Amino acid sequence: MAISADTSEESRGLCERAGLTFPILSDDKAETIRHYDLLLPGSGEKGRDISGAAEFLLDSSGTVRWRKMAEGSTEQFLEAAKKLN
Amino acid sequence: MNPKKPNWQLWGGFVLSLTALPVYFALVTTTRSVFWLSVALFAAALVLLISGLWRAYGQAETYRGKIAGPILTVCLALMMGIFGLSAWVVSKAFPAARNAPQPGQKAPEFVLADSAGQQVSMAQLLSSPITDASGAAKPVKGLLVVFYRGYW
Repeated sequence: MAISADTSEESRGLCERAGLTFPILSDDKAETIRHYDLLLPGSGEKGRDISGAAEFLLDSSGTVRWRKMAEGSTEQFLEAAKKLN
Repeated sequence: MNPKKPNWQLWGGFVLSLTALPVYFALVTTTRSVFWLSVALFAAALVLLISGLWRAYGQAETYRGKIAGPILTVCLALMMGIFGLSAWVVSKAFPAARNAPQPGQKAPEFVLADSAGQQVSMAQLLSSPITDASGAAKPVKGLLVVFYRGYW
């Protein structure tokens, strides 16, 4: 499942366009994003708060078994740099 | 009249400064602490460069570098500017996330709306059995939670 700071409407658009069948949840107040310490304040479109990219594999008890934090690849770095205006 | 001595501090400082940016770009995707290593390299380069400039202008009869000095100083300033800008881009794009849950820790619970507006909780996702291809219900073994920047 995936979480972002997008609203349900924005996520629905993504689901339909990409044909996704897994749950896409909306954390538009960025509360869960803050609990996971992934907040990027003002880094989104029009200065919105967004989540950094990260993945957590949980077991059935909700314990983290693996995680991948986005230190980032060079490609992501260049993409982020291009979005600066 | 003795020939002027080469100004090794000026050139040594400059050569040292050339290592700071490549080190940063090579290691920043592995560890963010490389920022401090690059800062230390620039600081050491700056100390050598300033010492070299002092020799070039303060002891101009003994040491060379009156022309090279300002040129190398401008180059160093440019590199430090690129470094500062790069570090700023990295901090904006990638969160440090020091308090994100580590393997072995419990993941923080959440209850959020899905794309249909229904509330979905982490507990629900972990406990609702999934149906396999044959229609049999199987218990959930785990959950991959993917945080993404958003689609806009």
